[in-house]
Amino acid sequence: MHHAKPKHEFEPKIIAFVCTWCTYAGADLAGTSRMQYPANVRLVKFPCTGRIDPVFILKAFQQGADGVLVSGCHPGDCHYMAGNFHARRRFAAFRKLLEFIGVDLQRLQFSWVSAAEAGKWVEVVTELTERVRAMGPMREFKDLALEEQWSGSLTTPELQEAYEAI
Amino acid sequence: MTTEIIYSAVGEAIRTEAERVLADGTVAAVVGYTMARRKGSAQPVVLTKPEEANQLIFSAACVNNLAVYLTKAKKELPREGRIGIVVKSCDLKALVGLLGESQLKRDSLYIIGVPCVGVLGSTLQPSVELNAETVADKCRECDDRMPQGADFVPTVALPASPALEKKYAVEIARLEAMTPAERWSYWQEQFSKCIKCYACRQVCPFCFCEQCLCDRNKPQMVEGTPRPAGNLAWHLVRAMHLAGRCAGCAECERVCPMDIPLNLLNRKMSRELKELFHSEAGFEVREKGPLAEYNEQDDQSFIK
Amino acid sequence: MSRVGVFVCHCGENIARTVDVERVARAAEQLPGVAFATDYKYMCSDPGQGLLKRAIAEQRLSHVVVAACSPRMHERTFRKAVEQAGLNPFLCEMANIREHCSWVHEDREEATTKAIEIVGMLVERVKKNRVLPTITVPVTKKALVIGGGIAGIQAALDIADAGHQVVLVEREPSIGGHMAQLSETFPTLDCSQCIMTPKMVDVANHPNITLHTYSEIEQVDGYIGNFQVTIRKKARSVDEQKCTGCGVCLTKCPQNKIPNSFDCNLGTRSAIYVPFPQAVPNIPVIDREHCTRFKTGKCGVCQKVCGPGAVDFEQQDRLLVEPVGAIVVATGFNLYSIDEKPKGSEIKGYGEFGHGRIPDVIDGMTFERLASASGPTGGKILRPSDGKEPRQVVFIQCVGSRAREKGISYCSKVCCMYTAKHTMLFKHKVHDGQAYVFFMDARTPGKSYDEFWRRSIEEEEAVYIRGMVSRLYQKGDKVVVMGSDIAVGVQVEIEADLVVLATAIMPRQGADSLAQKLGISYDKYHFYSEAHAKLKPVECATAGIYLAGACQGPKDIPDTVSQASAAAAKVMTLFAKEQLEREPVVARVSEKNCVGCFSCRKVCPYGAVEEKEIWDRNGKLIKTVAYVNPGVCAGCGTCQATCPSKSVELDGYTDEQIVAMIEAL
Repeated sequence: MHHAKPKHEFEPKIIAFVCTWCTYAGADLAGTSRMQYPANVRLVKFPCTGRIDPVFILKAFQQGADGVLVSGCHPGDCHYMAGNFHARRRFAAFRKLLEFIGVDLQRLQFSWVSAAEAGKWVEVVTELTERVRAMGPMREFKDLALEEQWSGSLTTPELQEAYEAI
Repeated sequence: MTTEIIYSAVGEAIRTEAERVLADGTVAAVVGYTMARRKGSAQPVVLTKPEEANQLIFSAACVNNLAVYLTKAKKELPREGRIGIVVKSCDLKALVGLLGESQLKRDSLYIIGVPCVGVLGSTLQPSVELNAETVADKCRECDDRMPQGADFVPTVALPASPALEKKYAVEIARLEAMTPAERWSYWQEQFSKCIKCYACRQVCPFCFCEQCLCDRNKPQMVEGTPRPAGNLAWHLVRAMHLAGRCAGCAECERVCPMDIPLNLLNRKMSRELKELFHSEAGFEVREKGPLAEYNEQDDQSFIK
Repeated sequence: MSRVGVFVCHCGENIARTVDVERVARAAEQLPGVAFATDYKYMCSDPGQGLLKRAIAEQRLSHVVVAACSPRMHERTFRKAVEQAGLNPFLCEMANIREHCSWVHEDREEATTKAIEIVGMLVERVKKNRVLPTITVPVTKKALVIGGGIAGIQAALDIADAGHQVVLVEREPSIGGHMAQLSETFPTLDCSQCIMTPKMVDVANHPNITLHTYSEIEQVDGYIGNFQVTIRKKARSVDEQKCTGCGVCLTKCPQNKIPNSFDCNLGTRSAIYVPFPQAVPNIPVIDREHCTRFKTGKCGVCQKVCGPGAVDFEQQDRLLVEPVGAIVVATGFNLYSIDEKPKGSEIKGYGEFGHGRIPDVIDGMTFERLASASGPTGGKILRPSDGKEPRQVVFIQCVGSRAREKGISYCSKVCCMYTAKHTMLFKHKVHDGQAYVFFMDARTPGKSYDEFWRRSIEEEEAVYIRGMVSRLYQKGDKVVVMGSDIAVGVQVEIEADLVVLATAIMPRQGADSLAQKLGISYDKYHFYSEAHAKLKPVECATAGIYLAGACQGPKDIPDTVSQASAAAAKVMTLFAKEQLEREPVVARVSEKNCVGCFSCRKVCPYGAVEEKEIWDRNGKLIKTVAYVNPGVCAGCGTCQATCPSKSVELDGYTDEQIVAMIEAL
């Protein structure tokens, strides 16, 4: 009964940093409710969005993520009272920094998804996946990584050959 | 020539005050500026005897933020007793931040504030006249020329600040007008110059961690090598860690051997935090900085 | 070198239908550090767990990843199984390939690839997991109850009856609180003193209860199971051991015209006094502010007439330190004093109601004292100005409450009911009297409450006028009440003999400073905050501290007593074990790296971060670093994300573990 899924040229890697109490549970509920969403997202579970260090977002992009999602409890619902409030400030500042150095913020999504909001989880993940898919791969960080591996230029055919062999 | 007249009066007052506080035992040492070997140049000095006080000077070449001598570089200081320190108002803001972060105690400091009309942007020619061309970029945007809350400030009348082009503001606006891709390539060009000498970290009064996150290898959060990915990560982590704390002494930018516009990132973050959370660093000793507190009504328009 | 075992569950068909579980296991086998991988129909079943335990033993596994359902479902199951097999339970992780994979994707290829990647991430993570010992905290099985009103009394009695020691601290010279002041109680009209005083006596006689009246909390240190509480026992000027409560001193004290606050200043008392005849303990206090001896050095009559020689003018405040394991906060409420605007408060007074200016405008508690058989009028309703019996009484509801523009937006919850009760008590005592009530809505949820309210109208003939009062003024010996009847749409003017204001319930003065001592949070009105509005209504977010009664929000007596018993049950649950066990997901500080900026302390919602001084061998202070109290830490990790040098790490969610997962991407 599977309907043919459209094949895309590019499947983005999406990494989601979520808190265990709300968004992880919301994603669980999407499963129990048998909702469907793109298979691009990989979850990293935290006790609280307050635990999420901005460096993780950076690290995710460096490791080849094309889009990053950070999601936790709605304000006032934090299991630890205030973790998400601290996170909200931290990320409000960090995204401004990323924007300033030229990261397209379309690739970075923040959301509040409660343990009951399976539908919202599906919506957020689907929307981000589709948006990033349309944007194409996150070249910037990958190019940086490539530069690390090769600092010279391919001036001779021998070098070119050696490079391709790698 | 007014600058020279003002600063020589300031220097005189500092010498007298330093001698007094050293002689009467108020302080165990005074951190200030003295003449360096090249004509017109200045360097930091730590004095412990009243008779040494005459070595102190103040001039437009006194660029260093001496706050760092109270934390990381404190090995040169006596371990007991109060420390006198000569600060410009930008340096004082760093002290205020350090007080808020439990790195210093107010009652162990004797703050000698300097009425300041600006310092040189570059000390390559330390004797050059201080004017609209030679003044440091940070001084162009400074509105607080009299240090507030110091223990001693020489009584010197300062002329009205000239209206100078605010270079950081202009540059931030220029970058903000670019597309993300253009900004990315601008910063990659800047960051690619970085040789990871960490002079910016060494000179920063707020980089007081005993072990920097970026030096850790379990896990390696930031690549240590001076290559593009690691450079970018270092400068982002640095800007983020200073956000809400840096008050713009611009020492990082001054000491950068590769001329990376480091303070530009700091100014941008400072501006954003002011806009988002109405918080500015360095004006009062605060228990919590903007990223250590929250308001339930904080903006969350960026969160779905 | 790690020897990770990977166990892929089919979950019957739930996973296997969409995910090629065999391929997942084969792929897992290839991962570095994986020593064993297999798939099985039901991992959570007995044979499944048996398979896991056998593999741990036979394959000498060091870490385990179970790829199955959500960890929220079975993490406990598998960690227990792993523990039974002799491994530390925290060396086991679950890869969620059901809720997050097989159930949300249809494409078998896609789902299988995703499952393989999820397993890969968790394998990398588990290799960085450390052995975490379960944290145990000793429990002092003695409880502190703050506040000796009905809430505190109920909680103290329940805990004491369960066999545990209780220290009950009351600020006033007697326990009893507001309930002791009430005349009769809704909806049954039983006399408040009759049901209250036996409980007060029970407290006094209970072998497990130590009562400290006329005492306040000075300082609270420590954490759940291990609090150190400093109590200030204020100088009573009467030796509690020697006093027999004969009361001669009260009758002989020449300074006997002091307004009695227990009677809302309607009656008087002497300078040496017990607040009311049934006070517990029945030991007087000298009010040093009014006592001639303390003011001028002369007098001393009480000392002379005291047979046992209990009066002691030299007595000083004493500080006691009590170790306790749990704290019940039951500090109750105050009525909003409408004539005075509280200092520095957003709350505006009701100057237009003339309270404090017009003697016959009183609040509900004053009416209680007028109606009380043991009150200053012996239960006769007599108005304060001239002692005449009022014929027409106007009751005004929602004075303060539900008036956003006046600063309080909440409903005080009990006023509708007590006003209905007041109209009845009035009618019972003044048969030809008429009660009018100005009200916004009548809020009467509660067992037999609405019936009670209807009775006040239908049987006791109270006239309810829907509308607010705009102004009160004195005219001759009447108080003119001007208001509107919005149901009919007309202005109403009533010449009343007495006006009773149902003023809002507010937290006790000083509720905020007590909260700061306890390290608990409060709302903008200073009502204490519960940990969860629905599921943890009696717990504070600070572990080991529980709430009872109106200090948490306006409450009637049945709700207060229920909450007090609930708080007592929570305390008993805590005391049921010798040691408090908790998940070891707590933050830990590297003392070597910490530079003591205390950013962690600034963001910790639990106040779990303390200062720790590091000294060298010569007794010289090297530095002051942060220390996370594992008994208090709840494991959110906000400290770690804030710490610039990452000198504080959350066990179970270390940077190494997180980065390992990201790098496996």
